[in-house]
Order: sequence, then structure tokens, then C-alpha cells
Amino acid sequence: MGSEKYILQTDDLVKRFGGLVAVDHVNLRVKRNTITMLMGPNGAGKSTLVNTCTGVLKPDGGKVIFDGQDITGWPPHEVYRSGFVRTFQIPLPFQFLTVLENVLVALPNSGENPIKAPIRGLWDKEEEENVKRAFEILKMVGLDTHWNWQAFRLGGGQLKMLEVSRALATGAKLIALDEPIGGVDPAYADNILSNIRRLKETLDVSFLLIEHRIDIALPYADYVYVMDRGAVIAEGIPDEIKNNPKVIDVYIGE
Amino acid sequence: MGIEDIFANPLLLNILINFAVGLIVTISLNLEVGFADIPQFGRVLTVLMGALVAGGITGRIVASIYGKPSGVEYANHLINYKLVDELSRLLAQSPTLSITMLVLTLIIAAILGGIVGYLCSYPALRLEEAYLGITLLAFGDVLQLVVWNYDPIAGGTEGVMIPDVFRWIGTGPVRFVGATFIILGIALLVFAYAERIARSPFGRSLKAMRDAPLAAEVYGKDIVALRARVLIIGGALAAMGGALWALYTGSFKAVSYSRLTWTFWPWAYMMLGGTGNNVGMLVGVLVFSIVRTLIYTYKDLIGSVIPINPNWLEYMLVGLVIIAISLFRPQGLLPEKPVFALPRKKIEKIRKAVLGENIEESEAKES
Ligand SMILES: Nc1ncnc2c1ncn2[C@@H]1O[C@H](COP(=O)(O)OP(=O)(O)OP(=O)(O)O)[C@@H](O)[C@H]1O
Ligand SMILES: [Mg+2]
Repeated sequence: MGSEKYILQTDDLVKRFGGLVAVDHVNLRVKRNTITMLMGPNGAGKSTLVNTCTGVLKPDGGKVIFDGQDITGWPPHEVYRSGFVRTFQIPLPFQFLTVLENVLVALPNSGENPIKAPIRGLWDKEEEENVKRAFEILKMVGLDTHWNWQAFRLGGGQLKMLEVSRALATGAKLIALDEPIGGVDPAYADNILSNIRRLKETLDVSFLLIEHRIDIALPYADYVYVMDRGAVIAEGIPDEIKNNPKVIDVYIGE
Repeated sequence: MGIEDIFANPLLLNILINFAVGLIVTISLNLEVGFADIPQFGRVLTVLMGALVAGGITGRIVASIYGKPSGVEYANHLINYKLVDELSRLLAQSPTLSITMLVLTLIIAAILGGIVGYLCSYPALRLEEAYLGITLLAFGDVLQLVVWNYDPIAGGTEGVMIPDVFRWIGTGPVRFVGATFIILGIALLVFAYAERIARSPFGRSLKAMRDAPLAAEVYGKDIVALRARVLIIGGALAAMGGALWALYTGSFKAVSYSRLTWTFWPWAYMMLGGTGNNVGMLVGVLVFSIVRTLIYTYKDLIGSVIPINPNWLEYMLVGLVIIAISLFRPQGLLPEKPVFALPRKKIEKIRKAVLGENIEESEAKES
């Protein structure tokens, strides 16, 4: 492991909902240490693809290879442990936990063991490290001033940022971001995307970025896949994609 | 009037013992329902398991220590009451053995309660919420029926007496006052334990699972393991509550472990106090222990004033309270508050270190 060119690879991945083929024999390749963008009109199957890769949905066919390991059909918590996390398009915050705790949940701590849990001395050093890391991420997304707010008090854009912070905090090898800047102020959106790029440049982390707003996101991508009605209709570097007639067609026909 | 006279007041003593045992059981319920969102409508199951340990195992161990009959014949009601009377007198001579038996009973109850809790996790992981609630409720009733109808365990319909592990403290009211304070002490330890859990990464993971199970899974929480663990802890604590109640009352009869008393009442306590908040459990249980004890004590008086059979009053009250809380204050008297695993000061310090010193101004308004 660790030597493969691709951090994530799907082979002929299929997911059906009754008669609808939401993911139709998709062969995706996410190169190590890149930002790979996944675009496509509403209902193209982008979220379903991510769900199928991360164990939220079981595939009906094909394989998911992550970091050289076949993770097809693994439950989500095992996918997380192998170093692959994702965010949700519609944020799923831990409503009654504070912003800080929402991020802390995403970080492993030996105090999660019920035997060790009552004895703080066994895990407080780890917790301090985690809190530090959480504040660094919260500062980056502009949520640090709200650190002690319960999540249900946050607005839509803030929830999006919380969703992203949890994923970034994990230190995973691959982070799939499902429309992380949808509904977010463009100024913050640019800030988030440049931070993601900076993370990619400083750490060995890769991103699978699902995004609608090509104008904002495309400049940050290293490679792009375009999906329509379950299938990949184009792939290439951003400049090729911009001028690809099939892509223009899909987006204008929308 | 000496201190023991004040506490020997039966009304006060009743409130205190109901509070202590109620607190243990409600804390256990809150861990499962308030923290982990498991519809535990079968709380009585593990409470009964614990009481059964006190009724069916403790006495047998004491009997075998003193070379008395400890097999099937122990639970025979013709033998049991005389035998237990003798065992109680022997135990009164030996505080060490009495305390050992108290501790041993709690340990066995916790282990068996934990096992039963773990067995419940099998359906808990596979059933939808409503079906699970009904399944757990049925489990509780089934065990009660078995113990009620099968004599060799704990005397069936006749029940059994339990050798008194508190008699070394004294006779008469002194025994009851002493026992009440020991049980109260244990209840406060259980409370402290639950608070430590609440302020730990484990408690946080439970609440995360409760608030958004799918997100918790994606962030590495093994839902199967978390549910199983909380059911084991909850089952163990509830069984300790049941065992203490049986030891305190000195007898065991399956019929006393009804779902009204040991499932629905704890639910009402919990909902009144504020689901998910341990301090709320203290408040909810205290308020209700007072109300229930008063109703129970002044049954006849109440019966002569209002045209309702006071025996039904309790049932009606529990129903009314649950409806009223759901309608008017679903979050309870003390709604869940954010808790942190580290002391707040330490968190502020780390925050300052990360964000720099001049952050006071940027603090978001609390409202
Ligand atoms: N759980 C489900 N059950 C049935 N059909 C589903 C389910 N989830 C998605 N679909 C369908 O599968 C197709 C792909 O949906 P998906 O959410 O993956 O699209 P998307 O590319 O993420 O779209 P958007 O840009 O709107 O987020 C759609 O037609 C959708 O209606
Ligand atoms: Mg989507």
C-alpha cells in the first residue's frame, strides 16, 4: 500500500435504485495528492457514487479499491479507519453537540473505550492535541468564534463549513467533499478551496471534490470527471473539459 | 430528638430510598435513551434480573457458607422464611460477611444485568425503533412471567425472603436509616460515574450517534459496538438498582417488578428531568419520589377527597405527566447542556494559543 498511483479507483461500479441506474459502470481514478473534481447536472449520480464508495450504500456491481485495498461493501466506520472520509451534501451535524465537539467526534481518542472513559487522566493529553487541531481547522473555516455553539443554532452556510471542518480534521488520506461550497458566500468559498489546495500541497492528502459551480471550482482542480445520467461522459484536465462539446451540451441543455 | 429520629420518620425515609434506587435506575435509562437514543421500554428486565440475584443467589451463598440448604429447597416457602430468619441473625453478627455479601450481590447483579443488556443488543441492532421498543417491553414481561410461575428460582408466586445484609447496623428504624444512607451513597457514586461518562469521548460518541447515526458511522463510530456497550452498562447499573431494592426490602416477589414501577416511572422521571442531562435526572427523580411517596402515604385521605381510586391515581399520574411534558416542555426541567471532556479553562487556553491573544472581541454573542 501507499505505492499505487491512484488513491481511489472504481472498476465498473454499478448502483441501481429499482429500474434507475444511478451509477452506471463508472471507472473513476483519483490520483494521489490531487484535487479531482466530479461535476455533472442534478441527478447525475455524483452523490450516489460517493455513497457507494464509502459504504453508505452497497454497490450492485463492480469494485472499489482504496489505497491498494479492496474496500467494496465495507461498512462506513471501516472505510473511515482505512483513511477515507466524506462530507454530506445536506449537512448532518450532531445537533446538540457544540461546534468544537462536532469536530472532536471525527478524531479518534482512546477515551472512546468505555473502560478508560471515566478516567480522564488516561486520555486527556490526546484530547488536548485534538482540541488544538480542531481549533486550527475552525479558524480556517471561520467558525472559531462559534466554537461553543450547539450545532442546531448555526445557519446553512455555517453548517456547510462544519461539515467540511470535520472531514479536514480527520487527517484522512482521501476526503470526498460533496458540494462543500453550495450556498456558501463566494468569498468564503474561494477561501475554502484555496485552503484545500494548500492542504493538498503540504500534506499527503487527496480530494474528490463534487461541485456544481464550475466557475469557482474549476481553477482549483487537477483533473475533472463529468457525469450525466449515471455515466461518466468526459474526463480530463480543466482546460480540456471547459471546451469539451459534450460537457457544454449537458450544461446548456440543463 | 436525635438525628436518627429525624430520618426514622417513615415519610422522609421512603422518599430517600425511593430517590436513591430511582436515581440509579433512571441514570441507567438516561444513558440508553438520552445518550444513545435506544427506545428502552424494557428497563424492568434488568432491574428484575438484579433483584433476582438478591432473591435467588445471595441467600443461597449465605446458606451454603453456614452449611444450610441452598439448593431447590431454599426457595420452598415453607423452608425459606425460617431459614432466612436464621441466616439474617447469623449475618447480623458479622458485618464483614454482610458487607461482602452486599458487594458480591452488586457485582453478580452487574455482570448478569450486563449480559442481559448485551443479549438485548442483538435485536437492538436489527430492528426499527418502534419494533425494538415493543420487543424490549415484551422481554421484561416475559422474565417476570417466568420467575412468577417457576418456583425453584425464587419461590414463584410466594416469593422468597432475603437474608438481611444491613442488620449489623442495628435493629428497628436504625437498620432502615443505615441501609438508606448506604444505598444513597451508592446512588451518588453511580451518578458521578454517569457524569464522568458524559464528559468523555465515549459519551460524546454516543451523543453523536444519537444526533446523526450516519455521520457518526462515516466518522468512524462502530454503531453496533456503541449500542452494545451502552446496553451492557445500562443493564449492569439497572440490575444494581434492582438488587439494592430487593436487599433493602428484604424480600423478593416477581410481581413487584412491574413495568409501571420500573419502566414507565423511570421514563417519567427522565422526561421530567431533561433527557440527556444527568443533573436533570437528580431533579426529576427527587420531585417524583416526593410526589409518589405522598400519594402513597395519603392514599386514604386522597381517596376520600377525590372520586378516584388512589390505586389508579399513580397510573393516571404517570400518563398525565408524560403527556404534559411532551406537550409543554419536551426538553424537560433541565434541558441538555453542552458538556466538554476537558475543563473549560483548559479549552480556553488552547484556544488562545491557537488563535492568538486578542480574541476577546471576536467572541460570538451567546444568546
Ligand atoms: N436513496 C435513493 N433511492 C432512490 N433513488 C435515489 C436515491 N438516491 C438518489 N436517487 C436517484 O439517483 C439519481 C442520482 O442521484 P444523486 O443524488 O446521486 O445525484 P447528484 O449527481 O448527486 O445530484 P445533485 O447535483 O442534485 O446532488 C437521481 O435520479 C436520484 O433521484
Ligand atoms: Mg448530490
